[in-house]
Amino acid sequence: MVLQLHVWGPAFSLPSIDAQCLAAIAYCSEVLPKDSWELIASSDPSVSPTGELPALQNGSVWVSRFRNIVDYLRQYSEGAWNLDQNLDDVQKADSVAFSSFIESRGQSLIDLSLYVTSQNYYTNTSPAYGSLLQWPNQWILPPKLHGAAKTRTEHLGLSSLDLQAMEDQRKREHSAAVASGQIPSNLIQQPRDTVSKLLGRTAQANQFRLEALTADFFEPLEAMLARSKTCLLPADDNNNPSSLDCVALGYLSLALVPELAFPWLRDAMRAKAPLLAAYTERMRSRCFGEAAVDTKHAFQPTVPAALPWRTPERISVAAVGTTLLGTLADNTPFLREVRQNRRLKQAVEADSAFSSVEKQVLSSYADSSNKDMLLSIATAVAGTAALVGYMVHVGLLSFSTGGIEEDEEFQEGVGVVQLDPGSAADFLGAF
Amino acid sequence: MPPKGPDSPPEESKESNSSSFFTVPAPIKRLFDKFPLTTYPANEIPQRLRPHDNVNRLYVFTDASGARHGRPSFNPQCLKWQAYLKFVGIDFEITSSNNHASPTGSLPFLLPSLPTNASSPIPSHKLQKWAIEQVHCEEEQQLNLRFEVYASLLDNRIRSAWLYMLYLDSENFDVARRLYVNPTTSNSVVRAALSHQLQQAARDELLKTSRYIDAADLEGDAGGAFEALSTLLGEDEHFFGRPNPGLFDASVFAYTQLILDDTLGWKRNRLGQLLREHPNLVQHRERLLKFF
Repeated sequence: MVLQLHVWGPAFSLPSIDAQCLAAIAYCSEVLPKDSWELIASSDPSVSPTGELPALQNGSVWVSRFRNIVDYLRQYSEGAWNLDQNLDDVQKADSVAFSSFIESRGQSLIDLSLYVTSQNYYTNTSPAYGSLLQWPNQWILPPKLHGAAKTRTEHLGLSSLDLQAMEDQRKREHSAAVASGQIPSNLIQQPRDTVSKLLGRTAQANQFRLEALTADFFEPLEAMLARSKTCLLPADDNNNPSSLDCVALGYLSLALVPELAFPWLRDAMRAKAPLLAAYTERMRSRCFGEAAVDTKHAFQPTVPAALPWRTPERISVAAVGTTLLGTLADNTPFLREVRQNRRLKQAVEADSAFSSVEKQVLSSYADSSNKDMLLSIATAVAGTAALVGYMVHVGLLSFSTGGIEEDEEFQEGVGVVQLDPGSAADFLGAF
Repeated sequence: MPPKGPDSPPEESKESNSSSFFTVPAPIKRLFDKFPLTTYPANEIPQRLRPHDNVNRLYVFTDASGARHGRPSFNPQCLKWQAYLKFVGIDFEITSSNNHASPTGSLPFLLPSLPTNASSPIPSHKLQKWAIEQVHCEEEQQLNLRFEVYASLLDNRIRSAWLYMLYLDSENFDVARRLYVNPTTSNSVVRAALSHQLQQAARDELLKTSRYIDAADLEGDAGGAFEALSTLLGEDEHFFGRPNPGLFDASVFAYTQLILDDTLGWKRNRLGQLLREHPNLVQHRERLLKFF
């Protein structure tokens, strides 16, 4: 049976646009024999029943997330496919701790660099997704990923990298001025901010935060590498990489390799961690091949490539329908939360590792959350009905059509006086 | 202000001559001259908030008796700083509070006793700097490159598992309800709304990093993290072989204390089972508990 690794597709001359997928590709290319696996750039999390990429498919078995894939390969091969078998206890502890460190800090930096920094997102990341996704996912997934990256990095207080957020903020202030000053909106002077002016103003403030963030991330890794020379955590005396090196490659290559419009992360890495940059280049050519990976390698595997690419299946009409319906449901209030609860439940029921008691408890939790949801819908409906009933009763709302029309006409008349720009100009001209 | 006696008619008549427009009609003026009828002395500051002289006050999540006896807070973030300040030997008293009281929106924060004229609150991310200025202890992050790396285990893997265990595990949520929801109000509708908000916040936090919440995964990750921490501690008394406990010990203690504290009334304590597999971490917690 050939193992199939489903990943997000190639971008920025790397085999995947996602760090976890890059780590999984690196691990498979190190540990698996050349002919025993295939790499599929399906770029759609819905192919896997777990709803996540990277996902390893072995017949009917699906395993997602990097660590689970590592565990599964070890168990499946009865210990043969394992990069970490020669590590002692201290090294194992280091491996766990450094993985957690790289995953948490590295992910925020990559989110900031590829998604939150508006210039990079619109000139590099978004087009990259456009070329690797199929219709209709290319319209649905990138905004979702963009939003997720923004929420993940909110606590870092660097939203000023995000021009969209800055613009929203400016509009809010503007409309607040209109509301508070009762000034006709067309008389308020528009502050004309160009992109370069916005960047110039915020660049210095950001610079300090980014300096601190990148230093916190790169310094421990650089120090670790300075001790061990070739790999972060050599798996044996021949300095072969361990699973930690695969994780590091996934995150560091996304920091170093992409050619971006505003390459602050790459600059910081080259300046602060020259050893780490050299190590990343070395690991990259070892795991992903010497040549840069191009999108066509993934979709036309006749072109010779270093990785065992296999063309993803054409997207079916049913899959398109499911995606569209799913997106619609996710964007509907209430339905979204019902689906969120169900996501927990399905994951639990699918996982055979749970004891039956645990399963029961968790499903009953998801059920009760659904009941809460229905209860709150019922409350909202009942409340609205009561309010309308009361208003009818008191006479605020009458259902005789004539009265309402009169009211509307009156309100429209007021609206014209306030909002029409022409009348405001006339008004000024009269003085 | 004492009520004014009726000794001002001459002025009034003079004013009425200058402009009759602004004068108050005489009967109304007489009526208002009677006010205020009595003036009570100012209320005293409530007993529990009266500032003791020259005591640093740390505001944490705790209950009334916990605040009196200085017992460990039931919030990991608060307990971390409470333990750290104790370990480096700073005297302070704890006060029960909640997030709305904090200038940054999250507990803990500290009101220093000195200098008294500029007692601005110190939020948690500046507490270490403040403690170093006070007692000149070491900044431990600088001493060992593994500090930040192993701290990420606590801040991510163990924290996620903790959030799941406390807020999302329906059997254990009684604990959270008793600690965080019930003290705030006795109104059952508000309690239900608060509980829902807490659970939703925890769920959102966990869904930030993954598409769905997998309890087995979270617990497995936490188990791996405990194993790594146990290896890091080894046979030493304190982390990184230090003679005295420090910030890292406080961070670990903040979780191990609460996970192993049976008085909280856990119904299903999977993290506790995982933690008890590592006797050195359990002993570490017992050693540090003596400080309280």
